[in-house]
Amino acid sequence: MEFIFEGFRKAVHIILSGNAEVLSIARLSLTVSLSATALAVLAGVPLGAWIAVKRFPFKKLLIALVNTGMGLPPVVAGLVVMLFLARSGPLGFLNWLYTPKGMIIAQFIIALPIITALSISAMQNVDPKFYNQILALGASERQVVWVCLKEIRLTMVAAVIAGFGRLVAEVGAVMIVGGNIRHQTRMLTTATVMETQMGNFDMAIAIGLLLLAVGFAVNLALTLIQQNKVVAR
Amino acid sequence: MIKLSGLRLSFGTGFSLAVDSLKIREGEVYAVIGPNGAGKTTLLNAMAMLNAPSAGSLTIMGRDALAPANRLLLRRAMSVVFSQPYLTNDTVFNNVALPLKLRGRADAAAVAQALELFRISHLRDRNAKTLSQGESHRAALARAFVTRPRLLLLDEPFGSLDERVKDAITRDLRRVVKESGAAVVLVTQDQAGALTLCDTLAVLVNGRILQQGEPQEIFSRPACKEVADFVGVETILPGKVISKAENLCAVEAGGHTLMAVSACEAGDSVFFCLRPEDISVSPGPEAGGRRNNFKCKVASVAPWGLEYKVELDCGFTLQAAVTKQLVDGLGLKPGAQVYASFKAVAAHLIKRNL
Repeated sequence: MEFIFEGFRKAVHIILSGNAEVLSIARLSLTVSLSATALAVLAGVPLGAWIAVKRFPFKKLLIALVNTGMGLPPVVAGLVVMLFLARSGPLGFLNWLYTPKGMIIAQFIIALPIITALSISAMQNVDPKFYNQILALGASERQVVWVCLKEIRLTMVAAVIAGFGRLVAEVGAVMIVGGNIRHQTRMLTTATVMETQMGNFDMAIAIGLLLLAVGFAVNLALTLIQQNKVVAR
Repeated sequence: MIKLSGLRLSFGTGFSLAVDSLKIREGEVYAVIGPNGAGKTTLLNAMAMLNAPSAGSLTIMGRDALAPANRLLLRRAMSVVFSQPYLTNDTVFNNVALPLKLRGRADAAAVAQALELFRISHLRDRNAKTLSQGESHRAALARAFVTRPRLLLLDEPFGSLDERVKDAITRDLRRVVKESGAAVVLVTQDQAGALTLCDTLAVLVNGRILQQGEPQEIFSRPACKEVADFVGVETILPGKVISKAENLCAVEAGGHTLMAVSACEAGDSVFFCLRPEDISVSPGPEAGGRRNNFKCKVASVAPWGLEYKVELDCGFTLQAAVTKQLVDGLGLKPGAQVYASFKAVAAHLIKRNL
């Protein structure tokens, strides 16, 4: 037990002393996961809305595939992205392997099905009569989707929270694609794994606490945005 | 404004809407009444281009409303108000401004005027989700009028409101409709509300328009038994015209002879129809000129809105509406002996096919 308390004590000291390396790892983690989440929102929300409102063959099959993607193992996503970005892979010319850009791509692939699936579900929960009312007010098909998305923004913020939460805690994909290179692609999760394996429990706990703090800060901000829109009952 | 012919819409449930012909003029207030499940909303949704008929033609403001290319243009020339207001999670002002925004316009003065028309200016900064039902309906109407539509489609607009609020909103709506000159299609179960607003009335039953015309004509001269049933004709007796002198028909029904002014001919099988308010109940035979006078026994007395409905057994059954004063004054209770009378001109005969 003693080493755990000692680990916590040292971890708090590391954080409060503003350890430059730890802070830079936290900054990179935040940048990569937030960028991937933002890209997934930009692509996944319109895609989800489109799938929800359009009629086309095999729609249910596509929704089942997207739902399955919510459980996509990060190591598989990481492996696929690595194969594509490897020097001999189809996107090798980009030289993005072992870079934050590559990690963003890998995390984007993990978050996209989550944001898309939750967007489909949220849009399909919009009362068809509300949808018709907005159409009847003179909305084009794009406008009606936009008004509906605004109406379900609380649910959409929840989708963003779910997507970001998955990414910030993810280790497999960024380990494979980023390689955990010091000062370049080391993330809070990969650093925690590494420090634990090396027996540096104080550092591992410090980074772990910081990971929790980063996740909490972003979720707190998103929750405040979300709850600010809630009408008091 | 609207021309519709041969319109057909079918659903997997087996229900189908079939409207052979319907025309609505500029500035006309056209009400469609009918029981639950008659197809009123389906018809209105077809006019709003929210469902796709399998056959027929629909022209709105001179344009083919079934052509997808015309939909947006036509929708932007009309407004639709549904039974629920369907306001967005935003301020009342932004809700009322939404149709303008969708048209790429920002006109705060028009929004303010629409709020004023429906007396909700004081609510402009409130979130629409916090409004009472009556206020929500007023906001929905203000939103419908903000674009000054040439055509307004109303689907049971006040279905869930209490009578007092409904009356107040209906009065405001009637004033705004008359001032705007917009054509209005109102579908409702609320016959009194429809009568307050409409110029023309149609009765839709089981997906078919059974009668359309002046409201008074439909209420006093229903074209068929289904319409009579729906518009509150409580006494409907099968019978046969046994003789006719000028327009006065003698109808044999339930072993009695009843007199009615009608164009039916001797030998016609008919339904003898009477509205409850056209029957007088008195302690003795009516002296003054009523051709139909029957001694009868009170079968039941039950409250009916502000009045009472009295079922009278005259050898055939009559349903009469009487005031509370009369119920008390005559001591009307089951078993009491009274006289029922009605004018031949108040009765209406519907030919029935055997």
